[in-house]
Amino acid sequence: MTTSRVGSGARIQRKVGKGIVTLLLSLYGVVAIYPLLYMFLSSLKTRLGYAKNRFGLPAPLTLENFTNVLNRFDFLRLLSNSFITTVGGVLLCTIVSLFMAYALSKMSFKGSKYIFLLVVVTLMIPNQTIMYPLYQTIGELKLIGQYYGLILVYAAFGLPLGTYLIAAYLRGVPDDLLEASRIDGANPFQILMRVVLPVSMPAIVTVFIINAVWMWNDLLLPLLILTQQKRTTIMVAISLIRSQYDIHVPLISAGLVVGFVPVLVAFLIGQRQLIKGMTTGAIKM
Amino acid sequence: MKLGNLGTSRGKEIGWIVLFVGPGLLLALGIKFYPLFRGLYDSLFFFEGGWKPVYVGLDNFHRMFLDKTVQQTFFNALKVMLTIPVWVLFPLVLAFLIFQETAGWRVFRAVFFLPYVIAPIIVGQIFREILGLQGPLNAFLGLVGLKLMTTAWLANTFTAIWAMVAVVLWSFSGLGIITYLAGFATISDDIFDAAAIDGAGFLTKIFRIILPMTVPVIGYWTVLCTGGMLLWMFPFIHALTEGGPGHATMLPEYLVYITSFRFFERGYGTTIGVALFFVVLTFTFFQVRFMYEAGAPRQKQKGGAA
Repeated sequence: MTTSRVGSGARIQRKVGKGIVTLLLSLYGVVAIYPLLYMFLSSLKTRLGYAKNRFGLPAPLTLENFTNVLNRFDFLRLLSNSFITTVGGVLLCTIVSLFMAYALSKMSFKGSKYIFLLVVVTLMIPNQTIMYPLYQTIGELKLIGQYYGLILVYAAFGLPLGTYLIAAYLRGVPDDLLEASRIDGANPFQILMRVVLPVSMPAIVTVFIINAVWMWNDLLLPLLILTQQKRTTIMVAISLIRSQYDIHVPLISAGLVVGFVPVLVAFLIGQRQLIKGMTTGAIKM
Repeated sequence: MKLGNLGTSRGKEIGWIVLFVGPGLLLALGIKFYPLFRGLYDSLFFFEGGWKPVYVGLDNFHRMFLDKTVQQTFFNALKVMLTIPVWVLFPLVLAFLIFQETAGWRVFRAVFFLPYVIAPIIVGQIFREILGLQGPLNAFLGLVGLKLMTTAWLANTFTAIWAMVAVVLWSFSGLGIITYLAGFATISDDIFDAAAIDGAGFLTKIFRIILPMTVPVIGYWTVLCTGGMLLWMFPFIHALTEGGPGHATMLPEYLVYITSFRFFERGYGTTIGVALFFVVLTFTFFQVRFMYEAGAPRQKQKGGAA
C-alpha cells in the first residue's frame, strides 16, 4: 500500500501502528518458538547442569544425551518405517483420489453424484470412533503388523479430502481441454496422464502435503496396526520414550529433538511452498 | 453421453469408469463403512477374554448412560467445545496482524506455522516440561510477580483440561492462520485501493471489508475446528496426562482407546466409540455438506445429445 501524500501526523500514526503490530507479532513469535528452543537447549545439558540451571544456556555442553538416545533406539529403522508408511500412504491416497476425482468430475455418468457423496461422507467416520472394529477388519485381512495394512488405512482415511480437493479443482478446468485430446483418440487413462495430471498439479500438491504431514505425525493408527516393535514408527517410539527412562529431562529432550529435526529440516527447506501448497488447492472461494 | 459420441463405445467407457472409481470405492466401503457397521453391530454384544461374544441388546448403552466416567468424559468434551470462539478468533487476530505486511511478515508466518508440522506426540511431551511445577511457565510467572498463579498445570484438576486445550491451540493455530491468510489473499487489491481513496481507516477496513469478505473462510475454519476438536486430542492426551488427574482430561476418544486396548473391553469400548460417532456426526455433517456443495459433479445440461 503506497499512499504517498499523507500528513506527517498520519505518518507518525502509521509508524506507531506498524510498531505495535510488529511488537504483537514478536510476542507470539516467542510463544511459538520458545518451547522448541527450551527442548533444544535442555538436550545439550548434562543431568547435573540441567538441575542447576534449567533455563540458561547449557554450561557444560554435551552431546552425550544424543549418543545415548541413538544407542538405545534404532532411529534409522524407526525413520525408515515412518518413511515407508508415509510415502506409501501418500502415494496410494493421491493416486486413488485422482482417479476417483477425474472419473466423477470429467466422465459424467449416472450416479456420479452419489458416489461422490458416499466418499465425502466417510469423513464422518473418524478412526477414533471405530478403533476396535477397524483393528478387527485389518486383522481379518491379515495385515496387522504389516506396512501394507497401515498404508491401506492411511489411503482410506485420506480419500475423502483428497477426492474433494481434486474434484473441486477439476470443476474449474474447462472440458474443452480434455475434448481436444479425446478427439485425437486418446483413451481416458492417457487423457488423465497427459492433460488432467499436469493441470491439476496445485490440487495434487495440496493433497500430497496435507497427507504427508498428518501421516508422518500420526500416532493412533500405527499404534493399533504396526504392533511389532521392528515395524513401528518413530512417533510410536517417541510416545514410549518417557516410560523407558527415569525422569531425566535432557535425555527425553534429546529424543524429542531427534524426532522433530527431520521435519524441521524439511520445513526450513520447503517452508514457502509448503504454506502455499497447503492452502492453494483448499481455499478458492 | 458426451464421450459416447466421440468414438469410444459406451461399454468401454463403463470399463474405464469402474477402473477409476473402483479402488477408492473399495477403500471407502472396506475400511470405513464395513468397520462402522461392524462397530454398530458389536456394540450389541458382550465380549470377554477368549469367550464367545454374547448378545446383550442395548445393555452396553444402558451401562454407558449410567457410567460416571463416560458422563465425565462427555462433560469434558463439552468444556472443550466451549473454547471454540478462542479457536476461531485467536488465529484470526494473528492473521490480521500478519496481513498488515509489516517488516518480516513472511518470517512470522513461517514461525507461527512451524508448531503445526511438529508431531502432536512431540508437542505434548515438550509441554509436559513447560507446564511442569518447576517448568519455564511457572518460572516466568514468578519473575513477573504472579507467583500466586503458579501451579502444576497438568496435575491440577481445575487447570489440567484448559492447559491441554491451550497446548492443542498452540499446535493448531498455525493452520488457522494460513487458512485465514489464504482467504484474505482472495480479496482483490482494487477494493483496498478504493477504500484507501475513500479514506477508510484501519478499523473500517477490518469490519467493512476483510471480515464480510472472508465469512466463507471463517465458516470453513469454524466447521473444521468443531468437527476436529474432539478428534485431534488423542496424541496430546497420550503425551500430557493420559486422561488424569482423575478423569479431568479424559475425552471420549481416549476413553475408547483405554477401554478397548488397555482394559480389553472390546464391546463396551466400541459402544463408547459409537456414541462418540453420533456426537461428532452432528458437527461433521456441516463439513461434509460444505464439501459436497463445493465439489459435487455438476449435472451438465448443455451439449451431449447430438
